[in-house]
Parts: sequence; C-alpha cells; structure tokens
Amino acid sequence: MPDIEGSPGSSMHGVTGREQTFAFSVASPIVPTDTTAKFALPVDSEHKAKVFKIFSLANPHMRTFHLSWISFFTCFVSTFAAAPLVPIIRDNLNLTKADIGNAGVASVSGSILSRLAMGVVCDLLGPRYGCVFLIMLTAPTVFCMSFVSDAGGYIAVRFMIGFSLATFVSCQYWMSTMFNSKIIGLVNGTAAGWGNMGGGATQLIMPLVYDVIRKVGATPFTAWRIAFFVPGCLHVIMGILVLTLGQDLPDGNLSTLQKKGEVRQDKFSKVLWYAVTNYRTWIFVLLYGYSMGVELSTDNVIAEYFYDRFDLKLHTAGIIAASFGMANIVARPFGGYASDFAARYFGMRGRLWVLWILQTLGGGFCIWLGRASSLPIAVLSMILFSVGAQAACGATFGIIPFISRRSLGVISGLTGAGGNFGSGLTQLIFFTSSKYSTATGLSLMGLMIVCCTLPVTLVYFPQWGGMFFPPSRDSVKSTEEFYYASEWNEDERQKGLHSNSIKFAENSRSERGRRVASAPTPTNATPTHV
Amino acid sequence: MEPTRLLLVSTFLTFLVSSCYGSVLFSSLKSTLIVNASPKPGQVLEAGVDKITVTWGLNQSIPAGVDSTYKTIKVKLCYAPVSQVDRAWRKTVDDLHKDKTCQFNIVARPYNSANKTLQSFEWIVERDVPTATYFIRAYAYDSEGLEVTFGQTTDAKKANNLFVINAITGRHLSLDIASICFSAFSVLALFGFFFIEKRKAKGNQGK
Repeated sequence: MPDIEGSPGSSMHGVTGREQTFAFSVASPIVPTDTTAKFALPVDSEHKAKVFKIFSLANPHMRTFHLSWISFFTCFVSTFAAAPLVPIIRDNLNLTKADIGNAGVASVSGSILSRLAMGVVCDLLGPRYGCVFLIMLTAPTVFCMSFVSDAGGYIAVRFMIGFSLATFVSCQYWMSTMFNSKIIGLVNGTAAGWGNMGGGATQLIMPLVYDVIRKVGATPFTAWRIAFFVPGCLHVIMGILVLTLGQDLPDGNLSTLQKKGEVRQDKFSKVLWYAVTNYRTWIFVLLYGYSMGVELSTDNVIAEYFYDRFDLKLHTAGIIAASFGMANIVARPFGGYASDFAARYFGMRGRLWVLWILQTLGGGFCIWLGRASSLPIAVLSMILFSVGAQAACGATFGIIPFISRRSLGVISGLTGAGGNFGSGLTQLIFFTSSKYSTATGLSLMGLMIVCCTLPVTLVYFPQWGGMFFPPSRDSVKSTEEFYYASEWNEDERQKGLHSNSIKFAENSRSERGRRVASAPTPTNATPTHV
Repeated sequence: MEPTRLLLVSTFLTFLVSSCYGSVLFSSLKSTLIVNASPKPGQVLEAGVDKITVTWGLNQSIPAGVDSTYKTIKVKLCYAPVSQVDRAWRKTVDDLHKDKTCQFNIVARPYNSANKTLQSFEWIVERDVPTATYFIRAYAYDSEGLEVTFGQTTDAKKANNLFVINAITGRHLSLDIASICFSAFSVLALFGFFFIEKRKAKGNQGK
C-alpha cells in the first residue's frame, strides 16, 4: 500500500491491534496528558484520570472510586441482609415458602425501575447527589424492619430496600466523569465487582451481628431486628461521607456539568430507538439475566439452603454463603480479562466464545450444586458456579461497549435491568412454590442458564463475525465505520454529529483479532507536506 | 419389601456426612410411653407467659423387660401437620436423623424402670417458639443415643388434641423509637446538607 499522506490505514500506524479494552493506564501518545493540571494522577484534557491506582486515595479521582464502590457495596449489604437471617425471620413472621420467595423477588424488582430513574437523576443533580439522595432516603426503609410483623410488611420493606441497588448507575456514571474512557472499562468493572461483593459480605456480617446481639441477651425474634440497624447506619455514614468528601467533577462541583454539554447533546428518543431496535441488545439483556440475575437469586436463597439441607449453624451457613458473593472480588475482573485475552487473538469472536463458555460452565456447576448431597461437594460446586456466573458478568461488559456507540448508556441500563428481571423471574419460578425443593430449584435454574445462554450464538457483527460465522465479505458492510455510522441518519451525518462514532470505529478495529493489519509505516519520517 | 427397604436405607446412610453411626426410622418404633400435657384441645397459649405441664411414664400394660434399653427420656414440642404445609424446614421425614417435626426440647430426664410413677415437668413456653399448632411427643433413647420408643399427646394421624402457641412479636417500643429517630436523622441530614450547599453556591455566584 502506497504511503501517501492520509491513505486508509495510515492513521493506525503504530497501533498493533493488541490494546486492551481493560487497561490500567493509557499511554501518553494515545491520549495526551494535560501538564498544566495539578492532580495526583496524570489527567487528560478533561482532567479525567488516565491511570487507575487502586490503592490510592488521591483526591478527587481515586477518592471518588472508593466512595462510589463502597456506597454500592453498602446497598448490596442492606438489600440482601435478610437472606442469611431468614431461618429466624420465617419463624418470627410465620412465613411460608411462597412468602420467602416473593420477598426475594421483591428485593430485586424495585431496582429495575429505580435504575432507569437514576440515570435521569444523575443528569439533573449529578452523580454525587444521585448517590446520596438514594442512599440516605433508603436508610429509613432499612430501619423499618423493626416494625415488620407479617409477611406483607416483610415483602414491602424488602421491595423498598431494593431500590437502593440503583447506586450502580450513579457509581458507573460518576466513574465516567472521573476516568478516561480508555480505562473506564476496568474501573467500572472493578467497582461493579467489588460492589457486588456486598451480597456475599452481608451473609457473613448479619449472622455475626445477630450472634453478638443474642449473646448480649436479646431473644432471637428481637435480635434480628436490632441487627438491621447495622446496614441502616452504614447507609447514613456513607451518605455523609459522600456528601462531605465527594465532588461531582475533577474540577469541582456540579454547575459546570451542564455547561460543558456532557448531558443530552443527543436526542433521547433517537438513542432509545437505536438501542431498542438492535437485536443484540435484547440477547444481552437475556444473557445478563442469567449471569447477574442468577447471582442475585443465589444470594437470596443459598444461606437458607445450606442451613436446612446440611443442618448447619446459622453463622456456618452464612460463611459458606458469603464465599459465593465474595468470589466477585476476582471472578468478575477475571471474566473481563479473559474476554480481553481472547480478543487479542480472535477478536470479537473470541469474546463471544469466552462468554458462552463461562456462562454455560456456570450453569453446569449450578446443576451439580442442586444435586450434591454431601457438604464438601456442595461447597465446591457452589464456588465453581459463582466463578462461572460472575466471570460471565465481567465478560458481558467486555462486549456491551461494542454493540452501539450512540446508545451505550441506554443499552448498559437495559442490560442491568435485565439482570434484575432475570433474578426476579428465577426466584419466582424455582424458589417460591412448594412444588420443588430448593435443591431441585437450583438444578432447574442451572438448566435454564444453559438454555438461555444459547442465544449468544445468534450474535453476529458484520465486521467481526459471530460465534460460528466469519465476518461479512461485503466490502462496505464489513467495516466498523459502516456499522457505527448506520446509527446516524443522513442529516445527522451531514452535520458531522457522528464523528465520535467514527473515531470509536477506528479504535475498535482491534476486535478483528490477529487479522488487524496496519498500513506499512512510511519510510521517510517527515510528512510530504507540512 | 423389607430387605429392599433395608438396602435403600443403608445406601442412603452411607452418603450422610455426619457422626452418627446409624439412624432410626420412626415407622419402626412402637409407642410404649404415655404422655399427657396440660393444654386443652384448641387452647391458645402465649409464648414467654403461659406454662405447659407435661406428664409421662411407661404404659403399664406393656410386658415387663421391654423398657430395659431405655436410658433417657426427652420430651419435645412438635409441629402439627397444619403448621408444616408450605414449610419444608418443618417437614416430617421417616429417618429420625433428618426429621424436623420436633424442634423444641422441653425437658430431658434419665429413665428409671424401677420408678413406676408418672414423671412431670412444668415448662414456660420459651420466647423463640413461633406461632403454630403443636402437640407434644416424648422419645426414649438407649445408651447409644438412638430412639427406641416414643409416646405423644395426639393420635397416629396427629389430628386431635392439638393446641396453639402465639409467638412474641419481637417488637419493642424502644426499638421502634430508635428506628424513627435514626430515619429522621438521615432525611434531615440529607436535606440540611443539600440546602446549605445550595446557599453556599448561590452566595459564591452572587460575589
């Protein structure tokens, strides 16, 4: 290929196609550093951090990261706080299996709507206030557990506490104002994974707190109510910390947000249209319902399952149940990393295969978990199931950024909602009726995971291929530019509104895997015209 | 039928990870104990307040020597079938090691076959007993801790002579008040900070 200035591919000189979606830092030539800014971390022209230093508390970027994931973690703790205490609560409130199942469904259903609303709130008030309003207004609902005296009240309170899971949206939104888009994948993945750990931590915390309160002298039916003050106070404390220590943007607080036009430059109706009419969106909504969704369902049932089936003490069942949720600390980032690793060699096809393998294995181990009748086998299969499901969550978000550039926010939101919906559905079908024992319910859920993961075989990108089909040979349709530009109509393209999508298309050429061939570097270093 | 059942039971037992050496089937036990309790059929008792007086002893029409293996008597509070519906954690299973019918211990006493009088015990219903319908059953255990016989206040179908216990709510006024105070603090702190910040921002803009 002649090395004429501006020839196709020449802008990719030096790019190897091996840049990861998840990376700890962005090298300077790719994103220039703003040297006039005085932050602890190197920043780009918008003052977003280019480096992700996990163990630093530097203001504002890393401090935001830690405040944000801990707030999300706290909401997970309170949403699933009842689960390990169900053996006590069910006796106090005279619950049937249907009541317990319905409460589990309620706990994940509230956030389907609240997550959608949170996006709007973040746009209006900023992510900091979005987070604070939610976390401090749901604190009273946690304290309300002390008033509950029957099944109806229990279900209602768990429903209201479940609203707090919308902190996921404020967390991701806030992170995207603080971190450069090249590393935002890893940052958001880590924050989401560590937040999800709360579902595991709560299975440890609540029985422990309950035991301590019992030792001090309370009766069981009072002790569990007092135990709920712990997550409630965590809400209040985190709310105050975020209010006093957090800030909306690297340079300060909210008011500049709207001026910069980061909000709603694009028409919402168009963004929604392109999200909804892309069939891949719905496949991933379904898939996430069977990776994140089953993770949430299992958070709700697993402690009670181990307590009843293996006759364990409450805190022993809690420790085992906790290891399910705590696996998130490595399993979810691992899924993202595996997706990136496969993409290096096989591009998007590799990512799809990795997702299918991880999620199907997770389903297989879930079937095994339901069938296991000895404690060591049950624990082993549970841990393998947790790694499979959580890694699949990480791998899903390795693919989502590529489905659409224009509608990424809406698609992420829909996928997240799909996770909660899947959780509510599986709990309703398998863990609410007395027709199946919980063990059978788990096995059937595993079977459903395997079946509902099959649609990923239908995902096809003309420019990269699908699981079974290679990319299109059509010279026009097989370019990334065609795919991403097709989300804009002629008018919009004339106005140049699609320029970000084109830039993204260039950068996404790495999803071809090893087939990326950059144009040969010109022999003379200086350009032909200056 | 018997050998098959024996094979099934022993196969099932080998999968149990527990420290018991064997397990007894309830259907293999004969009732040789007489158990009586003070609650009348359908009576409602309050947990933490009301008392139950239980009396038990060997059925005198049993031939002598049958009770030679009995070492301990344990009297338990058991769920009636109506309280087991839709609640698999209270299920009745023939294998007594897995059976969850009787979850509350009332009293345990050593057995003395020479003593022909009825034993009795007065029990205040404990505050962790849930709201349900109950009957009372006593098991006799041998020296290895395995059940050898039983007696209960109801019939074989567990249909008559049942009584109800109402649990405590677990709620306390002090807890309710604390809950309201913490909630109010949370909401007030939120709006307080919000308005203070808004006022500061306005003040800065005005300058």
